[in-house]
Amino acid sequence: MKLRSVGAPFDRVDAPAKVTGRADYAADVPVAHVAHAVIVGSAIARGRIEAIETATARRAPGVLAVITLHDAPHAQAEPKEHGPGARVLQLLQDDIVHYADQPIAVVVADTLERAQDAALLLETRYRTEAAVASLVEALGAAYTPKTAGPRGKTDTNRGDAASALFAAPIHVAATYTTPVENHNPIEPHATTAVWQGTDRLTVYDSTQGVAGCRARLAEVFGIPRDNVRVVDHFVGGAFGCKGSPWSHVALAALAARVVRRPVKLVITRQQMFSLVGHRPQTIQNVSLGCGNDGKLVAVRHDVINESSRFDEFVEPSATTARHLYACTNVSTSHRVVRIDAPTPTFMRAPGEASGSFALESAMDELAYAAKLDPLELRLRNYADRDDDENKPYSSKSLRECYRAAAEKFGWARRSPVPRSARTAGGELVGVGMATATYPARTMPASARARIRRDGSVIVQASTQDLGTGTYTILSQVAADALGVPFDAVTLQLGDSALPEAPLSAGSMTAATMGSAVQLVCRQLASELAVIGGLAGLARLGRDELVVELHADVSPQSKAYSCHAFGAQFVEVQVDEELGRARVARMVGAFACGKILNHKTAHSQLMGGMVWALGMALEERTVRDLRTARAVTRDLVDYHVPVNADVPPIDVIFVDEVDPHVNAIGAKGLGEIGITGGAAAIANAIYHATGKRVRDLPITVEQLLPATRKS
Amino acid sequence: MRSFTYVRAPELAIAIEAGLRPESAFLGGGTTLVDVMRIGVVAPAQVVDLGGLPLAEIAVLPDGGVRLGALASNADAAAHPAILARFPVIAEALLAGASPQVRNMATTGGNLLQKTRCPYYRDLASPCNKRQPGAGCAAIDGYNRSHALLGGSAQCIATHPSDLCVALAALDATVRLNGPRGERAVAFEDFHTLPGDHPELESVLEPGEVIVAVDLPARPFTVHSRYVKARDRASFAFALASAAVALDLGAGRIREARIALGGVATKPWRARDAERLLAGEAPSSDVFQRAATAALQGAKPRTHNAFKVELAQHVIVRALERAAGVS
Amino acid sequence: MATLPAIGSDAPEFVVHSPRGALAPVSTGEPRVLAFVRAWRAEHLGREDLHAIRATLRGLGAELVVLAEDGVWSFRPDDDPDQLADYSDRLAGDVATAALLYGVRGARDAVFVIDADGTIRFAHRELDIGPRLASALEAAAEAVLAPPPPLFTRREWVSSCLVAGFAFTFLRACRGDDKAAVPAPEPAAPAPNELDIVLDINGKRHQLRVEPRVSLLDALRERLDLTGTKKGCDAGQCGACTVLADGKRVLSCLTLAATAQGKQITTIEGVADGDKLHPVQTAFVEHDALQCGFCTPGQITSAIGLIAEDRAHTDDEVREHMSGNLCRCGAYPNIVAAIQAARGGSK
Repeated sequence: MKLRSVGAPFDRVDAPAKVTGRADYAADVPVAHVAHAVIVGSAIARGRIEAIETATARRAPGVLAVITLHDAPHAQAEPKEHGPGARVLQLLQDDIVHYADQPIAVVVADTLERAQDAALLLETRYRTEAAVASLVEALGAAYTPKTAGPRGKTDTNRGDAASALFAAPIHVAATYTTPVENHNPIEPHATTAVWQGTDRLTVYDSTQGVAGCRARLAEVFGIPRDNVRVVDHFVGGAFGCKGSPWSHVALAALAARVVRRPVKLVITRQQMFSLVGHRPQTIQNVSLGCGNDGKLVAVRHDVINESSRFDEFVEPSATTARHLYACTNVSTSHRVVRIDAPTPTFMRAPGEASGSFALESAMDELAYAAKLDPLELRLRNYADRDDDENKPYSSKSLRECYRAAAEKFGWARRSPVPRSARTAGGELVGVGMATATYPARTMPASARARIRRDGSVIVQASTQDLGTGTYTILSQVAADALGVPFDAVTLQLGDSALPEAPLSAGSMTAATMGSAVQLVCRQLASELAVIGGLAGLARLGRDELVVELHADVSPQSKAYSCHAFGAQFVEVQVDEELGRARVARMVGAFACGKILNHKTAHSQLMGGMVWALGMALEERTVRDLRTARAVTRDLVDYHVPVNADVPPIDVIFVDEVDPHVNAIGAKGLGEIGITGGAAAIANAIYHATGKRVRDLPITVEQLLPATRKS
Repeated sequence: MRSFTYVRAPELAIAIEAGLRPESAFLGGGTTLVDVMRIGVVAPAQVVDLGGLPLAEIAVLPDGGVRLGALASNADAAAHPAILARFPVIAEALLAGASPQVRNMATTGGNLLQKTRCPYYRDLASPCNKRQPGAGCAAIDGYNRSHALLGGSAQCIATHPSDLCVALAALDATVRLNGPRGERAVAFEDFHTLPGDHPELESVLEPGEVIVAVDLPARPFTVHSRYVKARDRASFAFALASAAVALDLGAGRIREARIALGGVATKPWRARDAERLLAGEAPSSDVFQRAATAALQGAKPRTHNAFKVELAQHVIVRALERAAGVS
Repeated sequence: MATLPAIGSDAPEFVVHSPRGALAPVSTGEPRVLAFVRAWRAEHLGREDLHAIRATLRGLGAELVVLAEDGVWSFRPDDDPDQLADYSDRLAGDVATAALLYGVRGARDAVFVIDADGTIRFAHRELDIGPRLASALEAAAEAVLAPPPPLFTRREWVSSCLVAGFAFTFLRACRGDDKAAVPAPEPAAPAPNELDIVLDINGKRHQLRVEPRVSLLDALRERLDLTGTKKGCDAGQCGACTVLADGKRVLSCLTLAATAQGKQITTIEGVADGDKLHPVQTAFVEHDALQCGFCTPGQITSAIGLIAEDRAHTDDEVREHMSGNLCRCGAYPNIVAAIQAARGGSK
């Protein structure tokens, strides 16, 4: 069938709703007589609740309920099925405090203002225990997790990295750290819970996975999955934190049950720093050795990350080092330290973002040590196959990415000497680069397609559009598979009553849902052809033809290592006196298989690069070391990039045909844009200033002239 | 937010009278008060809205000075021709602060009464002497990157967050007040108080007293005035260190200088020692650096803010260079 | 005339046979609203009616079953309109039986709310409910869900006024008083900490009774169903709640609703001219200046304010003067491009 829509830069189909305010995000869904709930958080990070005085709050005007451990209905806080993102929750079931701001009460009132006010009237007495706020304080307690998250192996050893390092003529070894970061989508998590009777529940929730949320709520309340419906037509940004149904989701439903009314619970910006996960702090040791020819002879990447006392999350930061460069001696490991903090979670490119900062910074250090151009060093160590998985890549166009980005950037004009360039205004100028990569995975998914007599098509699946363009690209895929115009197709998503699709995460949605929608639409097309097309439909007196099916992961892909690749080039300008580094321009070239929509794809990659900028220069959640409370608990103290921080960004698509990766030939691009980016910026800062900063974020204090005494 | 009664004052006298009632707060643009009320840090029983008072005028005074009405918005003040022509440091400081939306709402008077951004002050679970006298200070031994080097006490090291106030401190501004005991004028430098043993008190305002205007006197140094601000991102961030400087230049010499600092002190900080060092000198990097060093002489660095000693010096030098036109 | 089943009594069970199988409207363990109507068709519902009916049904946690002489319709609040189950015609027999059981045969239309236990919680009949189904359901929800008027009245009285006449009638009906409607009572005077305010939003006057602490943002979102304006931080740190007040961009989260009186407020809902998008909206669509879209209403209102200010012209100036609007998806370069394009287009 001739392709017409796929690839074309159509405007996002949901844009008109979004620019007019009509798009209904979770907290926008109107519910008559909804009551408002507010979560009261623990003041301490570790200990026990001895008493909660609620009488004053209960008497406050408009208060419908104050729910604490003393009167909360039973709820299953531990997940029975440990799917991705299923976390241990805090549902007012006991007196134990595991982290600061942990939910210890829920106040429900007839208006938001009254609930917020009454929430301040609770008085809680704790038995406080000393809390550990950072993994740095407890490195001795590091342990070896069973797996490095859903991606498998905790440790790997290929060859003998230790001996090879010892023998290597040139080597670098350094420790890199990345801080706690919070996703901070602009939409705070919101849940409105409505019980239909006692055992049926509808929830309007901001989530990356309506199906997973449904399953978890069914488990929490001990009701059948089919009795729960989760709806989220639009997600106001997610980046990983909305991948798990966190405590507040269940607490909203629990509160609705108690007050026998629909309840709306929107968490505050401050609670976004404690209730919905974070990127864990990591400490990463990287050692690289190469010969005088620049060929790597040893790669070591050892990672330690924090997790909570009650749940395990492993940031798989060392996975990239296992295959990114050709090397016979590679050793990687992951360790975890339990501290008195909330459970971390996936955050845009979990593992790859933090890990690539360390690995790609180390590669830059090695390039200087070997007196090689950093790009040349990478080319000399180009991996033509994945030696870790011992498989060929399904496709890999990294060389072309390097070439395209370097050319666009003007990399060849670079002087190798640090501190060798200044702007007319006297600011130091530096350039840096790094490799980007992210796995290209898919999941099983279902979808339904309906075509009506008038030729209009409705495609349905429970998957969600996080702002990634899912509505749009799936319309394009469906249009081509059915041979109908793009605008004949309507997508209905974000509703667990629709055919089940997986979590929108891990850059999997475009490929997963694209493949499923293509399959179901092709099936619909052939069934339609059998009955003689739309005319046949009319002849049979039927309004529509419907096909629903379940698409599995392409078995073919299992023979390959599937990854997207890219190259990031950055120029920074550093005003050393003011300790200010500005990213002046960014060029990224990416090869991600088939690009389904060049406009939305461009936006996603660009957004990832903006995230890299934030990660490199701004983002950090600080906890008070005495109390383990987050000190940076709003958007004044936790900086994300503003418009003025962001320079012109060039995104280059490198054409790539991948017949193996999945049915549709697309690799996701939600995450690759951030990978390597922070390292490219750090490398550019080194080039500009001669300062190697190994601890993110790179802020004023690290850039001020080092020598002057105060 | 605690429930409160709302009074919209149709005239100043009524505002003053209403403001005398216990637990009253005056409402200007709302950008500070509504914020701190919502997080429970400030909880008045009554809010007196000054929005209806005719205090938004920006007037050029007979001597060439400018009177900023207390309700003149930050955006209007920053765009006023007289400000741009003769008090550029005011416009620069205003435009370096907050966001366009906030500047459209925030008022001149309210800017003087901004609350600190100390994260412990804003977190009810942390002790804070400013919020709750006698509770203790979480910042002194805590995470104090944003905190003051100058003007702190054993009770409080919270930074005054305003940009505008730094410029006003440099320009010898006068704050005009009206209250139960009538009108008075307070030199800007005397308006804010140091935390000392009473960090909960932040200014000399008396109960019921309303800021009605801020006067910028016509002085020879106002034209060569500049504001330089170092912060963690390019825009919409509070100062790590900032400097407002003003130079009266003539015959290759600095006749008189003004230097005020922000982001590093518990109140808008006038660096008089540094000013004296500059008087009579020819502008040069060396003399600027000596002045900058003098400005930070009494700095008391803490665990996380020591870098600001050096940063503030660079900021001062940069501002002086710009004001002198040597950069 | 037959009498209605009493409040608190068991709802009579009946079965409607539909192409989708037998529909037993009562003993499902799920609340139901039964609406017996004579002249009514789903197509007659306007978008606003549908919106209101959905909100009401969500509030009741109920499915709506409309029993008309020519068919049966079943509504779930989150189904798409095209999925409304239409149990077609030739069901007159079933419907007539049901009407008999519920004492509404022929004479009048009626609405019943039946809870999950199959108990009748609300019953009222009146002529010709069909065209006013939305407000009839609202009144039913009011009667079932709203506790008796407390010392502090809760909702803004504009909506109370809108439905007061209806609600009053229905409430009387609940008490078994089936007489003609009585004029709505005047709203009570505000409690000491409440204000009656008038807001001018998108050219429309709205009367509200609010506590003074209610922000303009929460007044828009929670009381006026204008949810296009977003709450991102509730502290003036993100710009998602930006609206225009007399043409100037301001933060509705830091504005008390009471202080917004006397100003012309424009929200994202009021930016377009009917179906015709504002040039800034069009440019945002074309330049893909959004991804998740949550910051977008604030970005657009802010951009309109910026263009009106006429101070920022170069790309760098636009970047600086749009820095009060965070976009976590990182659409900034496209936002700048969209604003520049929109301005070029409008000049």
